[in-house]
Amino acid sequence: MAGSATATPTRSSASYRRGRSIQVTLAHIVLLIVVAISFYPLIVMALNSFKTDSEVLRNPAGWPEVWTLASYEAIFQYHGGLWRNFMNSVFVATTSTLIAVWFASMAAFAFAKYQFRGRNLIFALLLAMMMVPFEITVPPLYIMFARLGWLNTYQALIVPGLASVFGLFLMRQYMLGIPSALLEAARIDGANHWQLYWRIMAPASAPILGAFAILHFMGVWNDYLWPLVVATERSIQPIMVVLPNLRDPHIGFLPVWGTIMAGSVLATLPIVTVFVAFQDKFMSSVVIGAVKE
Amino acid sequence: MDTNNAAELSARRATVVAGKRKIRWGDALAPYLFISPFILAWLTLFIGPAIYSLILSFYRYKGYGTATFLGFQNYRSILTYHVFWTMLGNTIFYWLAHVIPLMVFAFLLAVLVRSKLVRWKSFFKPVIFLPNVIAVVASALVFQSLFGTQYGVLNSLLGAQIPWLQDPKLTRYVVVLLLVWRGVGWWFVIFLAGLTAINTEVEEAALVDGASAWQQMRHITLPLMRNTFLFAFVMDAISSFRLFTEVNVLVGTGGGLAPVAVAPILNLLLSNLRGAQFGMSAAVGWILFVLVVAVTYIQFRLFQESAEEVE
Repeated sequence: MAGSATATPTRSSASYRRGRSIQVTLAHIVLLIVVAISFYPLIVMALNSFKTDSEVLRNPAGWPEVWTLASYEAIFQYHGGLWRNFMNSVFVATTSTLIAVWFASMAAFAFAKYQFRGRNLIFALLLAMMMVPFEITVPPLYIMFARLGWLNTYQALIVPGLASVFGLFLMRQYMLGIPSALLEAARIDGANHWQLYWRIMAPASAPILGAFAILHFMGVWNDYLWPLVVATERSIQPIMVVLPNLRDPHIGFLPVWGTIMAGSVLATLPIVTVFVAFQDKFMSSVVIGAVKE
Repeated sequence: MDTNNAAELSARRATVVAGKRKIRWGDALAPYLFISPFILAWLTLFIGPAIYSLILSFYRYKGYGTATFLGFQNYRSILTYHVFWTMLGNTIFYWLAHVIPLMVFAFLLAVLVRSKLVRWKSFFKPVIFLPNVIAVVASALVFQSLFGTQYGVLNSLLGAQIPWLQDPKLTRYVVVLLLVWRGVGWWFVIFLAGLTAINTEVEEAALVDGASAWQQMRHITLPLMRNTFLFAFVMDAISSFRLFTEVNVLVGTGGGLAPVAVAPILNLLLSNLRGAQFGMSAAVGWILFVLVVAVTYIQFRLFQESAEEVE
């Protein structure tokens, strides 16, 4: 026993190392399987977008027999162009995001850095109403917009998401952490209230504004229910509403899968581009949304 | 609070020094001006419509002519309508069937990626998150193509003709699969952040005291993650009850809605809206609200109870 005592540690650390390397290999095998599952539908989407519509029906799973851009050409030509619907999405999501960030950040600034009568009451009311889902307002908004003649207009698509209490709350929390001394100094230098907001507060809270902008943009970009309700005309519809309904112009009921997949690639590209460019910011915006709650 | 006041105080001081009386009005008004665009938008686009919606839910209204007061008739009609119960059943099924695998996978992946076993963390993190970045409609369409009966990818690989999206029993599981596939990355990133925030010294102290990996997980990591889990379960339940896009794009054809056998509750809101039954449509919305509040409350209670059990 006493003799083996010196040998045991080396042997056990060798077996420990071996056990460890098996664990490491296993962990990576598991993760690679997960990666494969994450990627597989995307690979199918990308590959099928380079096939003709008829090849997708014949050969949905395999490599393209003939690589073609026919589906992408169809996007530009199809029924007056899916391109237009793509641009509708870009316009609606961008405008909505800019205004939502602007409104929420101004209000957050006031709630974080000013004393005013009714402040706490108004803020409590805002938070209390957060549990009420947006869908409740769909029937009345539809009636209101119909009366205004706003059905099938961009404003009908943009306007409902403008006051985001969630965004206001995130921004206020962040702004509370920004030292008021910054504002004081600017104030003494003669800055007016607008300059305090625009020159000091907005730049200082840029990370949270960016995080909220990403989440809001994704929300509007992905929205399906609301445009389905207010946008029935093809020329005004965002791409998400059009995409599922692309049919063969000759055989009416037949989905054109090549074109649909090319459209899906197109619909996905803007967010993926932002994601690849700002991976860490993108993912931390998800976390900020969760942790600050 | 003091820091909040500081800006205002200093502003006041500045005005006093400058001795301009007019600016004082501006100072008092400034916060109201800053909140007014937001508050106006909130009142006209959310609070106003929400009140209108509550009133509507007690009326029969076709969008023109006069509205007829019905009392609780709309609610009664919905609650005695078998389609509502089918849709509620579907919604609850989607929620319960996806939430456990979703959270378990997301958490295990977060533990794995955070562990010392894994290299290339900065590769795995964004890749696992990736499905979230794909447009919801696009991912539902890809799943439609994967699970097509005649021309589907899976059936062509299997050489079979399984009616994945025609048999409601099978379709339900395809929806669940889509929800899990899309959702794992989101909660994975959040859990990973939660785990990273845990002080490693606490865990190392436990290891030194001879705790096994499982004990460490059970008694240190999991309790410290409780709030993150509560948040995750509550948020996921709320979004489950508001499920719409995934199901309707996956099985609804031609801008239509999914068949009742697989439809979620929101479909009833939309079908009533399309039929110009605005009162009924609004009532469905408020029933949804009550469900969301109830489910949230139940989960808070469950988490509280489990917390007391541990202590």
